Amino acid sequence: MANNSMGDFVSQLRPALHRLQDWPYPDQIDHTLFAAFMKNPHDVGGDPDAPAIFEEKEEEAWELNTFVTCEVLGWRGIWTSEERRRLGNVDVGRTLYHGFPYYGRWVWAIARCLVEKDHITLRELLERVEEVRARVAGGAADALSAVPRSVGDPKAVPRNRHHIEAVGKGDPQRFAGQAGSPRFAVGDRVRVRDLPTIFYTRTQEYLRGKPGTIAEVSYESLVPEDEAFDREEQKPQWFYIVRFNMTDVWEPYAGADSDTLQAEISELWLHPLD
Amino acid sequence: MTHDETANTPHHAPERHAAPMVEEVTDFEVLEIALRELAIEKGLFTAEDHRHYTEFVEQIGPAPGSRLVAKAWVDPDFKQLVLRDAIAASREVGIDWLHPTGFGTPSDFTALEVLENTPTLHHVIVCTLCSCYPRPLLGNSPEWYRTPNYRRRIVRWPRQVLGEFGLFLPDDVEIRVEDSNSKRRFLVLPVRPAGTDGWTEDQLAEIVTRDCMIGVALPKPGVTTNAPRPTHPAVRPAGAY
Repeated sequence: MANNSMGDFVSQLRPALHRLQDWPYPDQIDHTLFAAFMKNPHDVGGDPDAPAIFEEKEEEAWELNTFVTCEVLGWRGIWTSEERRRLGNVDVGRTLYHGFPYYGRWVWAIARCLVEKDHITLRELLERVEEVRARVAGGAADALSAVPRSVGDPKAVPRNRHHIEAVGKGDPQRFAGQAGSPRFAVGDRVRVRDLPTIFYTRTQEYLRGKPGTIAEVSYESLVPEDEAFDREEQKPQWFYIVRFNMTDVWEPYAGADSDTLQAEISELWLHPLD
Repeated sequence: MTHDETANTPHHAPERHAAPMVEEVTDFEVLEIALRELAIEKGLFTAEDHRHYTEFVEQIGPAPGSRLVAKAWVDPDFKQLVLRDAIAASREVGIDWLHPTGFGTPSDFTALEVLENTPTLHHVIVCTLCSCYPRPLLGNSPEWYRTPNYRRRIVRWPRQVLGEFGLFLPDDVEIRVEDSNSKRRFLVLPVRPAGTDGWTEDQLAEIVTRDCMIGVALPKPGVTTNAPRPTHPAVRPAGAY
């Protein structure tokens, strides 16, 4: 198995209690279980795991093509990378998150975006996948090339404002001046809010409720909870680099007392420390 | 297998896999082709767009990052620029973070910060939520950096994980883990090691490896490559990449 030292299956024989579930009753789901189910699959910071063999990987041609397609879709205003992250890191669901290869989720995200934004119908996708499969099974040398039948009219395609308005400025620079005054300053003590996790967040659960210190006033940007849903009309917020003592984040912490951690958090997620 | 055999050889060990390795064309490859064809037919982007961006991706790598660090070691004014405005400093090593779209790469943004190590402060970078990485300066991220395993553990057991990378730091060195969960991208500026007096920028850049700029290794005279690791081979590898 890739990416861990547990390819030795004999060592993994141990008793386990699996509770198979099909649709529990609502009164069987307490707050802890609800939060566990709703936790974003990509939010793995601090989850227990065993030492791994850290590996490199040779990239497949299709993986490079997938990466390029994802970035080109951003370049041409079909989505932002935050939408890609929502789709490919969270909306895929926990089973695919762990079961699929890394770029498998990127290609899933492309498919989901194109269907949900009405660029293609699901029917069109199914028919084309079947056709490509048949072409590939035929075994021709060039069967693995993309062979578009036509070139569509780019002007007929709805695109975001971002890919035009950010040109020459950059991202997040294009949001500069839109979030008013920052609420916090360097040195302020803050606490990360524990807002409910519903659908998408980039504020890690391992930081919820933790006290920290503003290390930097960072930039203005749409918050990921809006940007991931293509809500360009929403108001940007200030972001901050917040510094945490490891001993405030983890109990126990098996390192030096002076160790720290930093994360970049939007104003939405911060309250002054009580 | 002995430890030596696993450490430096490609990952040809079928008995270690729960399921047979897929040799035929994968469903992912088929889906990627279908989607690219449809995207072009619908006018979302052109084949030329895809080619142009592919050329950009194929030429990114860690050399500009190494040059940035080496130059900062040699030139104190440049070091201040690196710490104050890393995007501007990147231009001086030939990297324009606005390329190739005019507003930056969609996934890497244009908010770079270089984290300066000192004799009592060591930075290590992670993206616990995905694999955010300063691609314009470092190229594409290594496989291990993307894995849930690294992302789970480095923020909670940093000394232990760094130890697995062969990096052991005393308790009087503060370890600071930078979790890049938003738009800022990070790169570590390591402490210039002893034994490099009088070195040219090129000589210095040679020992600034990708792993040093992530923070899982320290630069050392004579060490010009990342530590060897098993490499999972591709079935149909990307060409020039």
